[in-house]
Amino acid sequence: MAGLKWVLAGALTLAAVPVNAGTANGVYTEAQAAEGAAVFAERCAMCHGKQAEGTWEVPALKGKFMANWGRETVAALSDYLARAMPQFAPGTLEPKDNGRLVAYLLKINGHPAGAKPLPEDHAALTAIRIDPLAAAAVK
Amino acid sequence: MSRQNWYPQANLARREMLRGGAALGAVGALSACTAGKVASAGPAPRRPYLTPMRVTPDQLIDMKCCIRPVRAAGPNLGTQMIGDTLVVHNYGHGGSGWSLSWGSAEVAVGKALSVLPSEIAVVGCGIIGLTTAVVAQRAGLKVTIYTRDVIQRTRSFRAHGSFTPDSRVALSAPAGAGFGDLWEQMTRLSWKGFRSMLGLPGDPVVFQDAYALSDAPPVKKHHDADPAIKGAWEAGGLPLQDSEWAHYMDRIKDLVPDPVMLPTAENPFPVAYTRRSSEMHFNFPSYAHHLLTEFYQRGGLMVMRDFNDPSQYGQLKEKVVINATGYAARDLWRDKTVFPVRGQTGWLVPQHDAPYSLRYKNASLMAKNDGIVVMNNPIDLGEMFGVGDSMELPDPAPILEVMKIVEPIMAGMKGIA
Repeated sequence: MAGLKWVLAGALTLAAVPVNAGTANGVYTEAQAAEGAAVFAERCAMCHGKQAEGTWEVPALKGKFMANWGRETVAALSDYLARAMPQFAPGTLEPKDNGRLVAYLLKINGHPAGAKPLPEDHAALTAIRIDPLAAAAVK
Repeated sequence: MSRQNWYPQANLARREMLRGGAALGAVGALSACTAGKVASAGPAPRRPYLTPMRVTPDQLIDMKCCIRPVRAAGPNLGTQMIGDTLVVHNYGHGGSGWSLSWGSAEVAVGKALSVLPSEIAVVGCGIIGLTTAVVAQRAGLKVTIYTRDVIQRTRSFRAHGSFTPDSRVALSAPAGAGFGDLWEQMTRLSWKGFRSMLGLPGDPVVFQDAYALSDAPPVKKHHDADPAIKGAWEAGGLPLQDSEWAHYMDRIKDLVPDPVMLPTAENPFPVAYTRRSSEMHFNFPSYAHHLLTEFYQRGGLMVMRDFNDPSQYGQLKEKVVINATGYAARDLWRDKTVFPVRGQTGWLVPQHDAPYSLRYKNASLMAKNDGIVVMNNPIDLGEMFGVGDSMELPDPAPILEVMKIVEPIMAGMKGIA
């Protein structure tokens, strides 16, 4: 019975915030990603590499990154950055920079830019899923 | 980054020593650490005792020949669709396949992962294919290798097998400036991959001393263009001279130990000049065993089959395929930008009491677990030796010729001073 309630609660949550928009639909702007690149260069590149290529010890933010974050929501990625990055000073990214970084990470992983910027509203980010790339889009 | 910067304490200690202010023992240890490149620093000169290698013709137990799959623009790491199948290429590493294997696998597997597959196929089981398969498994994927031969029968097993990540890897003009960054990324990652295999049973990866012998003072090799040679690779797809090849080793100076000129008192060889460096190499049988063991333990499947047309990739049940077919890609993928550079090795009876490498004139000898590998690399030809030659049958004559050159060197070696 308890299990059924849980399932119902889950269904209601999904209905309230439908996960219907994916990153394949262009969920950030080029300008946002460009700003994100600048943030990345300043706050992230010293560990993750100038091209986000990573090292043997530090995760690349391309490639396997998609396997780690694919099918998650953009909110989950954004929350993680806000909570845990940069590792030497977690929680120090400005909320605006956080969004820019997410845009940049989506861009370098092959997700297209669109007309509207990533929303700042957390509930809206929860509604955006990180899509697997279409095979033909892998370069 | 210079190596001295890594040890600021040591520099400080050395300055204090110059002022006479530090305890001798500590200073001795630290300055030996930073001054390690000067062979005469530290204890009194001592000639290392090296067992001469047996280089008589009767010791030659094997000959191998293989074709380096070179692409003017560097390895193909691009993607393409065959029907609804994503093919990620990972071939054409020239003389650097072993050396770039971990880094190149990381790049190819990264691309495969971006469509979130649960299983992939790898076509080819040379060093690139097998490493790629293991890297994909480590990333959580189920992997099937489709191949006509297992690594022991591939061209990878007929290589020299030392860490030479920019050996005939690309021509500098068609590779362009951007390839240098990718090369460095792949090389640094591979270096860490090899580091993780040092000391494993069977010594899949080994560091050992390498000696470069000469009768005249050694000179740094330059790759200046010969103005008498007109044109370049564009005409026929092949480089016309040594200066066209790309060189990137300066990018990883911080990793690779510097060579040291041995003072006469420390020179075990009967030549005027001996330079000692460290080389890293791969012992094929043991290395293959480690990779295959991990591949199977992680549930990998190996399907023996041949391909003769790219359309066959689209018929595999896996919808993401990494193509690691090396020189075979030239025919299979009709990639005529792949050109052959022939290389051959002679193998002498393994001699575990002589663990070093040696170069003298055109001769190169390197002691490995499965034999002392002998090459005849004409110095004057540099990277051009073997270009365009796809004759893959070995010819013992040039190998016997350099063994003869080295014989008197071995006969004249000195013991402990």
